[in-house]
Amino acid sequence: MRARHLALGVRFAAGGGREGWIRTILTAVGVALGVMLLLAAASIPHVLDARQQRGDARTAVEGAKPVARSSATLLYARTETSFRGDAITGALLRPDGPDAPAPPGVRELPHSGEMVVSPALKELLASPEGKLLRERLPFTTVGTIGQPGLTGPGELTYYAGSDTLSTAHGAHRLARFGVGTQPPPLNPMLLVTIIVACVVLLMPVAIFIATAVRFGGERRDRRLAALRLVGADVPMVRWMAAGEALFGAVVGLLLGTVVFLALRQFIGSVTLWDVSAFPGDLTPLPALAALVALAVPLCAVAVTLFALRGVTIEPLGVVRNNAGRRRRLWWRLPVPVTGIALLLLNGRVDRGNGVVNPYLIAGGAVLVLFGITLLLPWVVEAVVARLGGGPVPWQLATRRLQLGSGSAARAVSGITVAVAGAIALQLFFSTIQSDFMKVTGQDPSRAQLSLTLPSGDVATTRKMMAQVRTTEGVRGVIATVEASASRPGPVRKGEAFAPSTQVTVGDCPTLGELAHTGACKDGDVFIVKDNSGLVDDGYLFKTARPGAQVLFNRDPQTEEPDGAPRLWTLPKSARTVDSRKAPSGETAFGIFATPGALDTAVLDHPTAHAMVKTDPAVPDAAEYVRNTAARIDPQMRVITLQNLERDKQYNSVRTGLLVASTATLALIAASMLVTTLEQLRERRRLLSVLVAFGTRRATLGWSVLWQTAVPVVLGLALALVGGAGLGLALLSMAGKTTFDWSVVWPMVATGAGLVLLVTLFSLPPLWRMMRPDGLRTE
Amino acid sequence: MTPAGSLLHASALRKAYGTTPALDGADFSLHAGEVVAVMGPSGSGKSTLLHCLAGIIGPDSGTVHYGNRELTAMSDAERSALRRADFGFVFQFGQLVPELTCLENVALPLRLTGAKRKEAEARSLEWLERLEVDTVAAKRPGEVSGGQGQRVAVARALAGTPRVVFADEPTGALDSLNGERVMTLLTEASRATSAAVVLVTHEARVAAYSDREVVVRDGVAREMVGAV
Repeated sequence: MRARHLALGVRFAAGGGREGWIRTILTAVGVALGVMLLLAAASIPHVLDARQQRGDARTAVEGAKPVARSSATLLYARTETSFRGDAITGALLRPDGPDAPAPPGVRELPHSGEMVVSPALKELLASPEGKLLRERLPFTTVGTIGQPGLTGPGELTYYAGSDTLSTAHGAHRLARFGVGTQPPPLNPMLLVTIIVACVVLLMPVAIFIATAVRFGGERRDRRLAALRLVGADVPMVRWMAAGEALFGAVVGLLLGTVVFLALRQFIGSVTLWDVSAFPGDLTPLPALAALVALAVPLCAVAVTLFALRGVTIEPLGVVRNNAGRRRRLWWRLPVPVTGIALLLLNGRVDRGNGVVNPYLIAGGAVLVLFGITLLLPWVVEAVVARLGGGPVPWQLATRRLQLGSGSAARAVSGITVAVAGAIALQLFFSTIQSDFMKVTGQDPSRAQLSLTLPSGDVATTRKMMAQVRTTEGVRGVIATVEASASRPGPVRKGEAFAPSTQVTVGDCPTLGELAHTGACKDGDVFIVKDNSGLVDDGYLFKTARPGAQVLFNRDPQTEEPDGAPRLWTLPKSARTVDSRKAPSGETAFGIFATPGALDTAVLDHPTAHAMVKTDPAVPDAAEYVRNTAARIDPQMRVITLQNLERDKQYNSVRTGLLVASTATLALIAASMLVTTLEQLRERRRLLSVLVAFGTRRATLGWSVLWQTAVPVVLGLALALVGGAGLGLALLSMAGKTTFDWSVVWPMVATGAGLVLLVTLFSLPPLWRMMRPDGLRTE
Repeated sequence: MTPAGSLLHASALRKAYGTTPALDGADFSLHAGEVVAVMGPSGSGKSTLLHCLAGIIGPDSGTVHYGNRELTAMSDAERSALRRADFGFVFQFGQLVPELTCLENVALPLRLTGAKRKEAEARSLEWLERLEVDTVAAKRPGEVSGGQGQRVAVARALAGTPRVVFADEPTGALDSLNGERVMTLLTEASRATSAAVVLVTHEARVAAYSDREVVVRDGVAREMVGAV
């Protein structure tokens, strides 16, 4: 019988004329927006999996044993750079024969001087902004990398052919691409964050869908009153109303699916915080898609029946009989409290270990946030009952809220939950972030870039120094040539190997940055003690003593000189000084020599290292330095020095949160706007009457603003309390007792700003609704 | 400029909604303190004429003069100010603000003109007493009967001591007994305050409370022959 009434409701919605279709479209558009987000969320596991699989498939990993050269092998050297903040990865390839494997997505290996590039890099190189980058990648583009070789369409990557690549120069030999490694298990604290984030981001979507199925509900109820006249009883009309909502929800489900499938074709053209995905990646998991398809229509029916509890549709009209019934706190408060208790039941979780029970955490978070939506109508009702007096707009607003605060509370419940969740996440995330931030010890005030040649000969090293010094935007270079020196002679009794130390050659200002050299002139030599405590002075002095001889070309395998011994005697005038932390955060020690004292040509396998200070007035200084580095050797590593380094997993979770919060907030704004307009439309005639007897439009505008502002302020206050409660429960789970309150205010401000924006957007329709047309009845 | 003696005067009013003409050259004149009934069948343009006379909507052409002022040349803000100060309104379904009490509803026009809350409510209570609905002063419109609600609406229209009351089918939603009571109170109270009344109705027994009747047919207003 119920099914018949439900079906009748569906028929009314489908054949209810213009009015019925407007309501169906409103609901359908709202549900479609929510469904799109849910389908996008249900696709995230596949997006991550597909990215991971393609990333693995192209990974070049050096095996435990060196790969023997054959016609089916190639030499591979990975290169990394960045361009104006965007990471660019690449690889230099040198096939050993005609059967050398090509990386995924590459049809033919590029020849020397050629490269194949990702479509995004191709576009960047072709654009005027890419001019500087073209200098850094002086290869002819001969093709593009296909989807199997890219983690996302926005990725900037390339493969370039080289005929100078060698294993001696940092390359390694491969017989194939791809690894089957398992990604490292996710850190328990990040897992907690992800679970809570999913709840926090999807709860407002669920609330939004629940709100959307009630769009136009008041007018629908009035129409259903006519059915009471012809003999329908109360349960019948309730099921008919549910049927109407069901129709809108199903249309919305279909519309959302179609728009999702259509929009994902354009997904590749959007890159958010360095993340992009191919259309095919955005495929919902079948189980989750089925859950969405089932839950949305059920939600429509359940929400309508629940909402009509307090409404009696009488033959002569609709009576909202909940106005006299006061909301009770006793059954609302236990819900969030139970949620907090569930979270605390999970026990302690820290970075290294801890059992994460996802059901307990998700359940706890859902109860806390759902509890907030239950508490909100009670709080709004309790507070507005005590409001009174004031000017006309304030009186109109407070009296309206006193008469029925339910719809106003419903309108802001989405934003309340979103802000509460965001506060909890921010509080948790900002407190645990210290666990995921590594203090690098680097000092960007002394130098901004660090350059390292993978292997160096003296000529290249000198070339590097000269070219970097003359690069545009470079204010100073701390350049050194480093090699190893050992005590000459055989290994002595009791020694596993001959004692050795590091030799660093640089000019006086450079050495002054790395050690407390004091007065220095070319020709000076220093013995630098390690202040970091890694090497004790006794070991250092075994090799480095004034007047002692050192050997540069000892073979570490044989402990014999590699060829004719290359010996050098430290001058007797060599002073012993303390080391100083370099801008790169490292501490150098051993023998420090100025070029006048030691010719670098005598060093064995020297490496060249430079730290560069750039001119802040030249915005592209770092790009010029990277271009110079690539010109000298495409494999040269250029690192930007920074105080703090974030954990990669932490970074990706943070990025995901930013992307998802943006989508949720946009949805909530849309939901609020529709709900506000819906409420205004319901009062159209009354607004016209008020205008007719001379009410200023500003008076009505302010009244609408107050009517929104009061529940919003109460909602945000509740979000602050609820969010902080949830955040503190999560922090206690992570064993944290100190936290930074300042992170919650931006969330509150964002929520308030969003509401203000929605109110501003609702003003033009309000102005239109205040036209006297609303008085016309014929 | 209004013709000698008339308070409100409209000439050659034309107004169309899309391609449907509502007024097609209607003329109208109202003297201070008189009650004029505007009659006619549904869709004849009665309400549109009332809305044009009250400055709620502007005609497509023609003029409306109130005293020495031309309503049709005024800005929206000026017309709103005029409606607040000099006009009162009664609509078919009362159109009271549902969230305000009956007393607050009557006080609303006074408060909009800047009266203090207590003073406005004291004056409103007097009007509710006059219209015999002071017992429902603290109730909300949803809690009172149709007849009581309509009397509250009349009190609201008269509380600001307007010079003209515009009443659009004020008894349209009431039974005959309540309708007559409302009309008696409306006309008595307006005569007591010397307010003129423009009474839109299609019922002859309601029009009988007026001093003069005007019939609107096909968008043209004509004086009823034989009217008082």
